[in-house]
Amino acid sequence: MQEATFLILTALAGGNQHGYGIITDVEQISDRRVRLRAGTLYTALERLRADRLIEVDREEIVDSRLRRYYRLTPTGEARLAEEADRWRSNAHVAMSRLDLRGGVATT
Amino acid sequence: MTDSADLERRYRRVLAFYPRAFRDEHEQEILSALMAGAAEGQRRPRLAESFDLLSNAISMRLHQMTLQRSWEYARRPVTRSLDAESRHPRLWICVRAGIGIWLVVLTAILYGYGRGGWWGVLLVPAAALHFYLAFRLRHSVQS
Repeated sequence: MQEATFLILTALAGGNQHGYGIITDVEQISDRRVRLRAGTLYTALERLRADRLIEVDREEIVDSRLRRYYRLTPTGEARLAEEADRWRSNAHVAMSRLDLRGGVATT
Repeated sequence: MTDSADLERRYRRVLAFYPRAFRDEHEQEILSALMAGAAEGQRRPRLAESFDLLSNAISMRLHQMTLQRSWEYARRPVTRSLDAESRHPRLWICVRAGIGIWLVVLTAILYGYGRGGWWGVLLVPAAALHFYLAFRLRHSVQS
C-alpha cells in the first residue's frame, strides 16, 4: 500500500470526510509533509471504492458546490489495521537495530 | 468575468481529459475540492496541479485500454465506447489517428501564433495518447 493510500484511509478512520477535508487532514497527519493533489486523491478514492475499502457516506451541496463524504468500510478498517501493524513491526525492528548500533543514528 | 469563474473554467478544461464516466461521477466534487484549495484571487490552475490532474487522466485512460479494468460503474458509457472500439477497430484507428493529427495541427497553430505556452504541455501528451491508442487498435486488427 502506498503512503498516500495509507494516509487517506487514516484520515477516514478519524471520521467521514469529503475530498478537500481529506487533503487538509492528510497534510496535518503527515506533519505537512504530504499534500495530496486533487488528481491523485480522486484516482485513489475511485480505486479504494472499487476495492470496497471505502464507500460514499452522503452528499451535500455547500455554496452550490457538491461535497461527497466518504467513509471507511469494515473491510477498509481491517486493511488499515493490517497495514498499520505491518509498519509498526517494521519500525520496531528498525529502531531496535539502530539502538544496537549504539544509538548513533537515533534522534 | 470574476477570478473564480475564470479559474473554474480553466479547471474544467483540464478535467475534460478524464474518461467520460469518471467525469460524470466525480467532476463536480473534484471542482469543489480544487476551488476550496485555491488561493484568494487565483485565476489559473497551478502548474503542478494541472500536471497531476493530467497525468492521472492519461494513466487512467491507458489503464482502461490496456487492462480493461472493470470499474465500479462497469456498464456505463466508457465501457460501451471501449466495446465499440473493439468491435470496429478499423474505424476507430481513423478516429484516433484523426484526433491525434488534429491535436498536432492545433499545437502547431498555437505555437505559430505565439500562444503555445503550457497549452503544449496539455496538447502534446494528448496527441501522443491518441496515436498510442490508434497503434494499439492496429495491433488488435492484426492479431
